[in-house]
Amino acid sequence: MGDTIASLKIGEKGVIDDFSLDAIPLSLLEMGCLPGKEVRLIQIAPFLDPLYIKVNGSHLAIRKEMAGQINITKI
Amino acid sequence: MQNILVYIALGLAIAFLIRKYFFSNKKGSCDIDCDC
Amino acid sequence: MEGSVTTNIALVGNPNTGKTSLFNQLTGLKQKVGNYPGITVDKKVGVCKISEDFTAEIIDLPGTYSINPTTLDETIVLETLLNKDNESHPSLVIVVAEVENLKRNLLLFSQIKDLQIPTILVINMADQMERKGISIDIEQLKTELKTEVILISSRKKTGIETLKRKIENYKNWNTEPIASTADRIDKDFFNTIREDFSEMSLYKAWLLITQQKYCSFLTEEQKVKIGKLKSDKVKIKKYQHKETIFRYQRINEILKKVYKVDRSQATDLRSKLDRVLTHKVFGYVIFAVVLFTIFQSIFEWASLPMDYIDGLFADFSELVKTNFPAGKFTDLIAEGVIPGIGGVIIFIPQIAILFMFISALEETGYMSRVVFLMDKIMRKFGMSGKSIIPLVSGTACAIPAVMASRNISSWKERLITILVVPFTTCSARLPVYAILIALVIPDKRIFGIFNLQGLTLMALYLLGFGAAIISAILLHKILKIENKSLFVIEMPNYKIPSIKNVFYEVVEKTKAFIFGAGKIILALSIVLWFLASNGPSSFKNAEADVTLQEQNSGLNSEELQKKIASYKLEHSYIGYMGKTIEPVIKPMGYDWKIGIALISSFAAREVFVGALATIYSVQSDGNNVGTIKERMAAEVNSIGEKRFDLPTGISLLLFYAFAMQCVGTLAIVKRETKSWKWPLLQLVSMGALAYICAFAAFNLLS
Repeated sequence: MGDTIASLKIGEKGVIDDFSLDAIPLSLLEMGCLPGKEVRLIQIAPFLDPLYIKVNGSHLAIRKEMAGQINITKI
Repeated sequence: MQNILVYIALGLAIAFLIRKYFFSNKKGSCDIDCDC
Repeated sequence: MEGSVTTNIALVGNPNTGKTSLFNQLTGLKQKVGNYPGITVDKKVGVCKISEDFTAEIIDLPGTYSINPTTLDETIVLETLLNKDNESHPSLVIVVAEVENLKRNLLLFSQIKDLQIPTILVINMADQMERKGISIDIEQLKTELKTEVILISSRKKTGIETLKRKIENYKNWNTEPIASTADRIDKDFFNTIREDFSEMSLYKAWLLITQQKYCSFLTEEQKVKIGKLKSDKVKIKKYQHKETIFRYQRINEILKKVYKVDRSQATDLRSKLDRVLTHKVFGYVIFAVVLFTIFQSIFEWASLPMDYIDGLFADFSELVKTNFPAGKFTDLIAEGVIPGIGGVIIFIPQIAILFMFISALEETGYMSRVVFLMDKIMRKFGMSGKSIIPLVSGTACAIPAVMASRNISSWKERLITILVVPFTTCSARLPVYAILIALVIPDKRIFGIFNLQGLTLMALYLLGFGAAIISAILLHKILKIENKSLFVIEMPNYKIPSIKNVFYEVVEKTKAFIFGAGKIILALSIVLWFLASNGPSSFKNAEADVTLQEQNSGLNSEELQKKIASYKLEHSYIGYMGKTIEPVIKPMGYDWKIGIALISSFAAREVFVGALATIYSVQSDGNNVGTIKERMAAEVNSIGEKRFDLPTGISLLLFYAFAMQCVGTLAIVKRETKSWKWPLLQLVSMGALAYICAFAAFNLLS
C-alpha cells in the first residue's frame, strides 16, 4: 500500500503490516509496536519530527525516519 | 608537631589526586553491550 | 544482626511505574548510592525489614522496558539477573507494573519470570483504577501468570504490608516459565539450546546467545557453544522478533481474560494537556517560561542561604585560628581546609534548587514533552532531545549534568553532549562574573530599562550556550562515529510529583556534586595553601631580608609587615608559578598576581575571588581593609594604571567563560567516556579558545 506511520495525519489510524528486520530495532517491538496492532498519530513536533503515536496501548515518540520504515494500512 | 601534620595532610592530598587521575577503573571491563 | 539473614531482592520495572516510590517506601532513608565496578551507573541499594528475622537488601535496578538493554543503564539489569556470581544477584525479584500500561509491563515481567528466579508481580497505582475505568481479575491473573500478584498504591501507601508478608514466603513460589515461545519458533534449534545449556532456564540461555557481546561471566566452553548457535545472525534476529511477537500474543491471551477497560469512565486530561504543551508555538513559549522561572528562582532563593553559609565558614575559620594552638597545621585548617570545604558547600543551595525543579518536572511527565519538542533542533547540533536535561543541569554544575547524559542511547549523541556541557555557565563562574562585572561594567541603564550589568551577565550566559551549540555542530561534522539512532521515548501520563521522590532525587544529585567535586577541591585547596605559604630560601628569609632592606627607610611596623607579607607571597612557590606564567598571560592583560589566582581556580573556579582576596589581604597582612571589590579597584600596575580596567576585566570574563578549569568535571568526563582522550581534548581546545578570545578582547579594547 505504500503507507507508513510517517504518512499518517494527526488523528488518523492504521494497522501495522510487516516490517523489515534491519530497519526496526528489537526495542521498538518490545515497546509494543507489533504487526497487526493499531497505531494512531497523536501529535507531530514542530519541524515535523519526532512523531507522538499511540500504539498497542503505549504512548511513544519516535523519529520520523524510524516511522517511515513501518508499513501500515490506513483505516 | 604541627609541621608534621601539615606534611601528612599534604601527602594524603597529593596521593589522592594522583590516584584519581592515573588509576583507571580496571575492575571489570565492559560486560555487555557497551555502546563503544 | 543475630538471627537474621540478609537476602538480595531486585526491584525491576518499566520507567514511570512508581518503582522508585515503592523503593522509597520499603527502604525509607536507609538507602545509599554506590558504584557498579567498571561501569559508570549508580547503584541504589537500601535495607528493608521484611519481618522480625528477615532483613533484605533491596537493589533498585534502572527502569527498563525489556531485559534486552538499549542503554548503559539497562545493561545493569541483564548483568545482575543473569550473573549468579554478581554480588547483587537477587534471591527474588519484585516486578513493578502499573494499571494503565499493564500489557507492556508484562513483557518485562514474563521475561524475568522465564529466568526462573522467584518473582512476584506488583501492580502499582491501584488507586487510579476506578478513575480510569480499569478492572482486573487478580485471582485469574495469578493463575495465568503462576505468580503472586499484589495491588499497591505507593502513593497511598496501600498494599505494602501485604507485599512484605508474601515475600516472607518466597522460597515456595512457583518458578515455572510462562511464555512457551520456543517451540513455536524452531523446535530443533531450541532443543539444541536446551541440551547445550541444561543447567539453566531456556530463556536465560536464549538471552546469553542473543546479546551483542559475550557476557563476561561465561566459561570458555559456554562461549564456544554460543558462538556456534549465533553464527547465523539473520536467523537469530528473525527469531528474536518472532519471540517477542509470540510473547506478546501470550500476554494478550491472558489479559483478554482478566483486564477490562470501560473507556466511558476514563477522563482524558492527558490529551488536553498534550495539545497545549506540545503545540507548535505555545509548547516552546511555555518551556521558555518554565526555564525562566527556574533560573529566577535559583537566583532569588539561593542568595540567602549562600550568604549564610559564607558567613558561617568565615566565622568558623576565625574560631579555629583563635582557639587552636598557633602553628602551620592550624593555619592549614583555617586558611586551606575550611575555606576549601566552604567553597563546595556554598553551592548546595543552587544545585539543590535546580535539581528540585528538574526532578519535579520529570515526575510530572512534562520532561518527555520537552524532549519531544527539542529533539529535532538538538539533532541539528549532533545531540538528542534527551540532551536538554544535561544542558539545563549544567547551569548548576557540570558534574551531575554529565552524569545525566546516561540515558542517551546513541553513543555519538551522548559523547557530544558530554563534551559541550561544560560550556554552559555553571554556578561556580557566577562569583567571578559578579565581581568582575561590578568592577568594570558601569552601573547604568540603557534605553531607560535595561541594566548594563544585568545585560552583561545575560550575555555571558548566552555566550556559554552559544559556545556549546557551535562546538556541538563542529563535533557533529568532525567526529567519525556511527550514529545509530534508536530514539524511542515513552510519553507517560501526567501525574502530580511526589515530594518524597523529589527529595530523595535532590539528595542523590547533591551528593554526586559534593563527592564528585568536593574531594578534589579539598585536596587541591590543601596543596594550593601549601604552595602559597611556603617557598624556597628567599621565602624563609623574607622577614630578615626585608627588615634589613628597609631599615633605613623609616617605615612603621604596620607598613613593614605589609612589605614582608607582600615579599613572602612573591617568593612563595605559587608566587614563582605565577611569575613563570606571567609572560604567557601578559598578552591577555594579566599580571603574576592574577596568574596566582588563575592557577588557584583550577581547584574550583570560584576560588579565583578568594585567591585574589588572599593575595591582596595577604599583602595588607590580613587587616581586611575594605571589601575585596574595593581592594581590587584600588590595585594599580607598575605604571600606576588601574589593574582591573575594562580590557582586563572583559578579558578575564571571556577567559572564565571558556576555559576548562574544573578538575572535577575532567574527572567525571574521563569516567563517563572511559578514556583520557576526551577530557584532554576538552582541556586543550577550551583552553585555546579561552586564550584566543581573552587575548583578542584585551588587545581590541586597549
